[in-house]
Formats: sequence, structure tokens, C-alpha cells
Amino acid sequence: MENKKSQIGFYIFIAIYLIIIIFPFYWEIVTSIKTPDEIFSSFRFWPKQITADSYVRVFTQRPFGIFLKNSFVIAALTTLVAIVFGSIAAYAIARLKFKGKSIVLGLVLAVSMFPQIATLSPIYMFMRKAGLRDTYAGLIIPYTAFALPLAIWNLTTFFKEIPFELEEAAKIDGASPFQAFSKVILPLTAPGTFTTAILVFIGAWNEYLFALTINTKDIRKTVPVAISMFEGQYTIPWGEVAAATVVVTVPLIIMVLIFQKRIVSGLTSGAVKG
Amino acid sequence: MKAELEVKNEVKYKNKKKNTLSEQRRAYLMIAPSIIIIVVVALYPVFKSFWYSLFDLRLNHPTKDSTHLNYKIDLERYFNNYDLVSGALKRAVSETTGETKDKVMEANKKFLDISNTILSEKEVASKEKKVREIVFKFQPVENDKLKFAKISKSTAENAIQTYSDIMNSLSSLTIEGDGKKDIEKAAGLSEELRDSIIKPNFVGFGNYKYYAKDKSFWSSLGNTFYFTLISVAIELTLGILVAMIMNKTFKGRGVVRAAILIPWAIPTVVSAKMWKFLLDGQFGIVAHLLQKFHLVNDAGWFLSTHSGAAFSIISIDVWKTTPYMALMLLAGLQSIDTTLYEASAVDGATKPQQFFKITLPLLKPTILVSLLFRTLDAFRMFDLVFVLTGGGKGTETISTYAYKTMFAQMEFGRGSTLSVIVFICVALISIAYIKILDTDITGKR
Repeated sequence: MENKKSQIGFYIFIAIYLIIIIFPFYWEIVTSIKTPDEIFSSFRFWPKQITADSYVRVFTQRPFGIFLKNSFVIAALTTLVAIVFGSIAAYAIARLKFKGKSIVLGLVLAVSMFPQIATLSPIYMFMRKAGLRDTYAGLIIPYTAFALPLAIWNLTTFFKEIPFELEEAAKIDGASPFQAFSKVILPLTAPGTFTTAILVFIGAWNEYLFALTINTKDIRKTVPVAISMFEGQYTIPWGEVAAATVVVTVPLIIMVLIFQKRIVSGLTSGAVKG
Repeated sequence: MKAELEVKNEVKYKNKKKNTLSEQRRAYLMIAPSIIIIVVVALYPVFKSFWYSLFDLRLNHPTKDSTHLNYKIDLERYFNNYDLVSGALKRAVSETTGETKDKVMEANKKFLDISNTILSEKEVASKEKKVREIVFKFQPVENDKLKFAKISKSTAENAIQTYSDIMNSLSSLTIEGDGKKDIEKAAGLSEELRDSIIKPNFVGFGNYKYYAKDKSFWSSLGNTFYFTLISVAIELTLGILVAMIMNKTFKGRGVVRAAILIPWAIPTVVSAKMWKFLLDGQFGIVAHLLQKFHLVNDAGWFLSTHSGAAFSIISIDVWKTTPYMALMLLAGLQSIDTTLYEASAVDGATKPQQFFKITLPLLKPTILVSLLFRTLDAFRMFDLVFVLTGGGKGTETISTYAYKTMFAQMEFGRGSTLSVIVFICVALISIAYIKILDTDITGKR
């Protein structure tokens, strides 16, 4: 009896928690398919009249397609560069003996704690001077620098888990160090590399401060900056904001649902083992 | 025989040394690209920020938009106007008569004197020809090393004074007809010449002294600490609760785990905008419902009052990051050996006893690491506040204040000062946590 009661309480707690988490997204979806009249006049939980107008306006009256493309290109290239350089460095840290390893690791860890704003003014001045404002490179460069510590840290943990003997065996069979790395180590660490790539991608996709200051022209603006600046003439166009939110959130939610186990392992690997 | 063995051993040893050496070289080659990027794009800018914070640097000010330790002259600006002024003065001398002519001649003499002094400055003399060539083609001087030339303090002050004098004496002349145009031109362009002289904008720790007395700074720092402390404390408590629930096996655990990742994954800006709508005094459903159930008096409280805005910021931060905290702690919980609980249960320990004697102590390192990450994240809070309130309603954080100082007022020296202060705070917080973690770990040994 006592047990059953506490079971019910347990599920009620979980239900409430889930509602608090899910409801805002539900409401954004509902708002995105309401008519503006309805958004500003009632609190109905399901629209009287369903319309795709908000979505149409987001893509026709604003260059939202361009914003999506910008965000995607910048996040994807950041991920690519950070993973390539990061895995090479992580391999060296995990596998090779060299002097100053602890200094390198210390530097990596310290930079991962840097507040971005402490680097903002010099980076902005540099981009301005170099003519890199409103370009992809203008954001990819700082994003890569701030993604690398996380990438190196996570990948080093993953590389350390691969048994050393496998590589030795490959070398005895006549493989060069590079072959051992690319044919043996890389395939084995693919899951860990992929996990790290997801984390780097999400981080770059969501970044705001650099994007807000360095890329201000529509042609190279990213999605977070664009959404934060959705303003109408008199009121905030909540329907359009909701539609844009749904458009950027749905891919992320799908990604999270598919890769949740990997993401969780990637997020927690540093904290628990380190 | 013995000697031979020794030689062999030596060769072996040498080979081994060579191997490790090449291994070391390979390792350095492999880490080099990453380290170079990190050092150049993340580490060096921090020092540069500090350097900027020592200057009165303003991007919207013609002579203060870069750092100047010494008196300098902007040669581009100078030579763009120099020939025009000298030509206008020469013509004015021949066009005017009488008293006016005397005045103009006097101005012309002053002009020639000071020009000679400036042009004989070593750096000016060496760069004159090149800059003139570029200016002659109506092109901008892009190389800063060429554009600016160091001049002595006395020359600079003398020049500023003289060009002002020329300007004043020429503008005071009232003539009509011949020479009027040239005199006006010479007077106007003398101002340009004066403004091409750059005073050093090095202010030492002046910006820091300024902020020591600045009320907005102290209140933004206070807000930042307040938001950080409260939201991280709530997140930790809720995080432990959620983690312990998720550690049980129950139906739908996978669903819950996936769901709580969603707030973490979406951009902070998007969640801030979303909650801005939900908490809107007029159209926000959450504000509306809470008012309907008399949990707040006025739906407008959330975003239009100081206490409401602070409450909203903390709540949204808790909403967004508790899942992250819970997942970290869950991983820590799962690494605790379950036999410990079984054994203590046999010994008659109650659930609260188990929690305080087993769970918390074993979870402590994980708690500290997650707390460190969260504290640093919360301390540099920018996106949420910037989108939700824009720093209004007394919710300015140090990051939004720094951003506004730099990009609204274009005061890069002062803005950099604020960002250096953020950096110092973050460093102190990290060091404190690491010290605690260290004593925790070594204490156990």
C-alpha cells in the first residue's frame, strides 16, 4: 500500500517535470500555426484555424533560408576543422610520450573555461581590420579555437580506451604509424569522434556573442542572431518567432532523440573520469 | 666479449633514445596545429584585451581608434591636406592687400615653420615619400606602420597650438571678394592638419579606477554574482533530485532522459525568446495562467518589474540547465558501487543515512566538477539576459554591460576593461574550485 502510494507520487513528479520541459515547445508549435488574430486575442490550447502563414512569412519576408544556410555552413566547417585537428592532437596526447604533456593539457583545460567575452574586443578588431566581418571565416576561426579544447579533451578520453596492443599488432604487420592511425585507430574511435562532432556542432550552431558582433549583415547572419532580432513595427511578431523556433528546434530535437546515448556519454565523460 | 656487449647495449640505448626523440618530434608536430590555433585565437586575445584596457580606445573617434603609446602623426590625413593648405595660403598672400595681407603672410610663415619642424622629424622624413605616392593616387594607406609616424611631444604640442592659431587668425579675417575662398579653405583644412596629430591615449589603470567608482559596474557585478549563486544552487538541488530519480529503473526512463536533453540542446537565444513570449504580460500563456491561479498579482510582473525580471532570468536558466546538471550527476551516481547500499542496508542504515553517508561523499568530485562548469557558464551569462530584458529592469550582468560599452558606445578600452574583469573573476572561481577538488582528492589518500 505504502509502496504503491509512493509509486504514484513518483510518477506524478516525473509527469510534472516532463510537462514543464515539453510544454513551451508544444506552445511554440501551436502558436506557429495560429493566425495572428488568434495569437493576440486568446489562449486556446489548440488553434481554431490552422494556417501556415507564419512559416511562409518567415521564409518570404525574411531571408531565413540564408540564415539557416549560414548557420549550417559555419557549424559544419567548424566541426570539420575542430575534429580533424583535435583528433590528431588527441592521438598524440593519448598515445605518444613527449615533454610538456601536462602543460598542453593544462592549457587546453584552461582555455575551455575562458569567458568568450574576454577575447571579444581583440577578435572583433582583428576581423574588422582583416576584412573578415560578414564572412564565414569570421566566425569559423573563433568557433574552432573555442571548440578545440572540448574536442581534444573528449577525444583523448576516447583514444585512451582503445587497447594499445591493437596498434602495436598493426605495426608488427608492417603498417606505418600513419596507417596504424587511419586504419586501426580511427575506425575504432569513430563512435567517440562522432559524439564529439555532435557536441561541437551544437555548440557552434547555438553560439550568440561572436555571431552578434562579427556577422551583422543579413547575408552572413546566423539563426540565433536573426531570431533574437525578429521585431515587427509595433509588436514582436510572435507567430513568426514561433515558426522560426520550430524550424531550428525540430532538427536539434530529432538529433538529440537519435543520438541521446552518445550525447550523454560525451557530456559526462570528462566530468566523471577526469 | 664483454666490451662487445657494452657497445651493443650502448647502440641499443642510443636507438631507443632516437626513437623516443622522433616520437617526441612527431607528437609536437601533431599537437602543433591545435595549440597554435588555441594560443593565437583564444589565449593571445586575452592579453590583447588587457592591453586595450590600458587605453582610451574608441572606435568612433578618429584619433582614438587604435592604441597610441606616443605622440604620433597620421601621415595619410596630414598629406591629404598639406598641399591644399600650402597652395591656398600662397594664393591668399598674392590675392590680398594691406593689413589682411600681413595677417595672411604671418599665418603662412607660421605654417611653413611648423611644417618644416614636422617634416624634419625622423620618422616623418623617412615615410613622407611613400605616403605621398599613395595619397597622390587617392588610395587609402592600409599599412598602419606606414600610416603613423612617431613625433616628439614638443613638436606635437607646438603643431597643435600653431594650427589652431592659424585657424583662428584666418577665420577672424573679414574680407570679401578676392582671397575669401582661399582663406576659408586654408582655415578649414588647418583644422584637419591639427587633427592629424595624435595624442597618446594610454591611460594606465585609469579605466580600472573609473569602474571602481562606477555604480552601474558594481550593480552589474552584483547581479552577476546573485544570478549565478541562486541559479546554480537551485540547479544543483534539483539536479541531484532528478538524477536520483533517473537512477531508478522505471517504465519510460529512456523517454525522460531524451526529453530532458532537449532544453540543453536548443540555442539559449531561442529558449529566451520562447520564454519571453510565455511570460509576456499581455499574450503570455504562462504569465496568464499563473495570474489566473493567483500565484502572481499581475501578469506583467515577470518582465516589467525588477524582481519579476530577476525571477524570470533565474527560472529560465534553471529550466534550461538543470537537465545538464542531472545528467552529469547521474553519470556519477551510476559509478557508485551498489553493493555499498546493500551492505549498509544489512547494517540497518536508513535511506537518508545512506544518502548522506554514501551517496553525497562519493558523488562529491562529480558535484564539484559539474558545479565548476555551471558556475563559469552562469557567470558569463549573456544571451539570456540580452534577449529577455536587454539588461533593463536592473538585470544588467557584467557581460551585457561589457557588450554595450563596446558595441553601443564604441568604448573599446573601457569594454575591454570589463571583459578583463570577467576573466579575472572566472579565473578566481576556477582556482577556488580546483583547490577544493585538490584537497578533496589528496585528503582521501
